[in-house]
Amino acid sequence: MTTVLRDAWSTDAESLRRLVDPTRGIISARIFNDRDIYQRELTHIFMRTWSYVAHDSQLRNPGDYVTNFIGEDPVIAVKDADGSVNVLLNSCRHRGLQICSTDRGNARLFRCPFHGWTYGRQGQLVGVPKMKEAYCDELDKSARGLIRVPRVESYRGFYFANWDENAEPLEKFLGADMRWYLDIPIVGALGGLEVMGPIMKYKMKANWKIASENFAGDDYHVLSTHGSAFRVGFLPDYDLVADYIAYFENGHGMGDIPKPGRMLANDMGMVQALGLGPEAVAYVKAFNERLRTRLSPRQADIHGIGEGNIFPNLSWIKFGCFHVFGLFQWQPRGPGEIEVWQTVFFDSAAPQVVKDYARMEMSQENAASGIFGPDDGENFERIAEIMRGAVTRQTNFDYSMGIGHEGEVVVEGLPGKLGPHYSEQNHRNYYRYYLELMTERGN
Amino acid sequence: MTAYLSDLKVEIETFLYHEARLLDDLRFEDWLNLFTEDMRYWMPIHETLEDEEFHDPIAGEWAYMEEGKAFLTTRYERLKSGMAYSEKPRSRTRHFVSNVLVEAGPDSSVIAHSNFLMYQGRRDKSEQFFVGRREDRLVRDGSSWKIQERKVLLDHRVLPRAISVFF
Repeated sequence: MTTVLRDAWSTDAESLRRLVDPTRGIISARIFNDRDIYQRELTHIFMRTWSYVAHDSQLRNPGDYVTNFIGEDPVIAVKDADGSVNVLLNSCRHRGLQICSTDRGNARLFRCPFHGWTYGRQGQLVGVPKMKEAYCDELDKSARGLIRVPRVESYRGFYFANWDENAEPLEKFLGADMRWYLDIPIVGALGGLEVMGPIMKYKMKANWKIASENFAGDDYHVLSTHGSAFRVGFLPDYDLVADYIAYFENGHGMGDIPKPGRMLANDMGMVQALGLGPEAVAYVKAFNERLRTRLSPRQADIHGIGEGNIFPNLSWIKFGCFHVFGLFQWQPRGPGEIEVWQTVFFDSAAPQVVKDYARMEMSQENAASGIFGPDDGENFERIAEIMRGAVTRQTNFDYSMGIGHEGEVVVEGLPGKLGPHYSEQNHRNYYRYYLELMTERGN
Repeated sequence: MTAYLSDLKVEIETFLYHEARLLDDLRFEDWLNLFTEDMRYWMPIHETLEDEEFHDPIAGEWAYMEEGKAFLTTRYERLKSGMAYSEKPRSRTRHFVSNVLVEAGPDSSVIAHSNFLMYQGRRDKSEQFFVGRREDRLVRDGSSWKIQERKVLLDHRVLPRAISVFF
């Protein structure tokens, strides 16, 4: 594999295609460290795709809001009086100040502390101090509302926003195939999913795509990176956990898909081993029965799902019905840094003993202090840290695992392009879509 | 002013300094022995909220750490496995414990408040500081003490990095 060594280059389509070659599984380190490429990602990726911003259970009452980011743009997602959710750029129209500096809350009005300009829940400018004395009543308030993210849609309570007015509907972007799997934890929840507490946030020196592609279908790293978890018996033998990966249109992917029947059996075994009690046993059965009747027998056979990534940077994890449905937003903060925002959800109608188990288990596993999360973080850091070298920063990374073997795995009734447990087909799919967006014209 | 116990202050301070020393010296097994068998360790998430909506962290919500001795022991086993890459090579830490205040607790226990600042250095130059305070319930253990409950309140909203060392 030859390295592409060239000093002069740019972010035009031709140059990008030389850096990202999904067909041959060769991707240049450049896209993980270059400032110009990163800036282009902020416009070409994050201004054109659906970004998760909030969940129904965080916005129960009119005026409830949470602050989040789309790329590096801060937004406020606020519930309006009519139940709709508005997503507003968190930047005053006067001098650009971040108006809302809290994580969440309830507000009727958002007031900028600088000059006191005040906005309503639709972003409309309702209050300007000294309108007569200072502005002679001449300021056109209607033209100075907070910039609204034009498209806001919810998929079963999960709110996403998109700067692209012409974007296809959220449901179509997610696609029927991936939704088949995501519906399992979302619809399976007897009482619907609800947040289990505050969003956990921590910095990581990593490129946002390295984290995203990891969840999109890198099951190969588990035995090495997370070997210590197997060693202490926190996880059963990896071959007993899951069997397949799958990719979908629009760059989405998932891994650790259990073969039909496996995850339910694992959960039934777990509830006995952990001694969670008869309530928990009843819960597994009720959850699975609900999948069978509300969704389909095939979805009930899967029961558990695995982990995945919704393009561009929203990863999720869900192993069986005793596991939280955990979201990870890899918030980009430059080519070599991210903020990891973790929101966890669980079935509001689950028995308390099950909720407690799931919540504590996730803290111990894939979270800031977990015995999984930090090991991934360590790897990602060791990539980002050395990307300053003139040679290092433009070597080629290998994404060739499974080339020539795609399509060999077919399981009746399982949607998506399936693959074996260990393959980089999902990575190649991710970067195919990435390249498509990055090489399109215009901002 | 709150009735702080002055007669136990030096004893409790020494205990907390010793505890910090064990952590910095990577004597994790000895550190675990400073806790009772039924201990609970809770490190909640610190949100940024409007003053009017401010509340203390709520027990039973998703937190950084919420565990007992069994899982802390599992963490130790993991470190010994040689495959805990976030601690391979091991971090260099330096805990600074200060502002120790001791109050009487229920059933002859004491509540020890302390502030901490911890430096963590990894490999060449990956370095961070963590800052917060602890609220410990200590119970008598012969002539010494054991920690029955530890609450760690970090002052960061966004942590500087993931956590692979302890406070």
